[in-house]
Amino acid sequence: MAKDTKKKQTRDTANLRDRVEQIERESGATALAVAVRDVETSIEFDYESDRWFHAASTIKIPILVGVFGAVHAGELLPQSRLHVRNRFRSADDDSIFRVDPERDANAVVHAAIGKTMQVRELAFHMIATSSNLATNLLLDFVGLQSMQRTLADLGFDDGIELHRGVEDNRAFDAGISNRVTAAGLARMLKLIAEERAFSRMLSKEMLDILHAQEFNSGIPAPLPKRTRVAHKTGEISTIAHDAGIVYLPGRNPYVLVVLTEWEPDGSGRQQAIARVSEAVYEFLADEGGSKKDG
Amino acid sequence: MAEDRLFPLQVVDGLALDQKYRDALRPGESLLDAAGRERTLPRYFYEVPSWDVARKLELSPHFYLWEFIQTDVREVDVFRRFPRYVPCAITLLALCLERFREAVGTFVHIAANGGYRSPAHRLSRDASPHCWGTAANIYRIGSTWLSDEKSIERFSMVARETLPAVWTRPAGDAAGFADDHLHLDFGYVVSIPRDAPDDKDKARR
Repeated sequence: MAKDTKKKQTRDTANLRDRVEQIERESGATALAVAVRDVETSIEFDYESDRWFHAASTIKIPILVGVFGAVHAGELLPQSRLHVRNRFRSADDDSIFRVDPERDANAVVHAAIGKTMQVRELAFHMIATSSNLATNLLLDFVGLQSMQRTLADLGFDDGIELHRGVEDNRAFDAGISNRVTAAGLARMLKLIAEERAFSRMLSKEMLDILHAQEFNSGIPAPLPKRTRVAHKTGEISTIAHDAGIVYLPGRNPYVLVVLTEWEPDGSGRQQAIARVSEAVYEFLADEGGSKKDG
Repeated sequence: MAEDRLFPLQVVDGLALDQKYRDALRPGESLLDAAGRERTLPRYFYEVPSWDVARKLELSPHFYLWEFIQTDVREVDVFRRFPRYVPCAITLLALCLERFREAVGTFVHIAANGGYRSPAHRLSRDASPHCWGTAANIYRIGSTWLSDEKSIERFSMVARETLPAVWTRPAGDAAGFADDHLHLDFGYVVSIPRDAPDDKDKARR
């Protein structure tokens, strides 16, 4: 049974917990985890937030942070150019694998094979349209170990496990997967939201990229029209996630991470995430952080 | 009186360049190839003043200079800006590729990092002919992406039939093979144009 871990909560979140439990029951999800970090009110809400999930494409947030860590270290610049090449080595046995263009949500990066693209452009495509090719190019250049060190230096040695690139099927078969918890992702997003990730300038650049997200049927769906959400989705056969920073007019932002697991044929995934988003929004609005303005 | 000269790039002696360029180009120094044989790096280079010049300068009817110097962040910092220096043999490579293009009858695309790479480029190792400006990595020919053994071998054969003494990397994904491009090169050719400075002039060495 789902439980409210009640970590660091400063106000009574029982009503919100009840609603999340109800959404979980009604949705048919086999697992659901939620983490809320409100910069405005300091309210924190955790629901199964320490449970590990396959990261799916939400791992692109830590990879984004790893890329900007390399920028911060002077190893590259946002405008540095990278050779676009669809050829990667498996984290399992170093064998060659490629990103299937038919499965990749983004065609722009595939069209640039043989040419170069800026790091900034690749980061944009990695987040906005979830380009797997862009993700692997960035991870390959910066290096897995370098990114892992960056994440550890930032204190993310718990809650986020980056072990490989995307579509590395050999590694997947060998049990090597990227994993996240809702609490881990929330902590990372809060660092970015508070513009404390490396520097204010680099945090803002990461925020700009996260704001460009084009898949908006989860967290942003039920929110008022003037709301801006910097977020990253992740979806594979049994997984549907959304992790983001919600900017409502007239208040500081709040971080919301919703991680879900499903049977392979489970439906209503985005609706479930949207319902959690609505519940969190209404809870925080009632707490005085904001009012619904439709 | 100097002869009329249509080619717009100035030939420079690498040994006379500033230290930061010499460190990256290592003019006249030796590198060992994969078999441990000593190979001498080029000493004379064309000076490329700007990307605009590289973009507009035809080395052959279908190949522009920029195609041979398009590198990424793996190239040493000093050569990610201008002026840049490219071995004089690059003009010979362009002529050979022109002949290859005639044989295949369509566009030939050189990959980024697939033309000239300085010895300081992160991908330069084992006396790579890319450091002599005599190698090209071709990732696409017409509408064919060279991303499988069959297409690489097919065009490799055309290259070997068309270009005497060309060397092509065998197709495959093991070390020493190529699996997403056709690598062809002419070995360690060094070109010294007629208007190159005097070999004995090492005053600034």
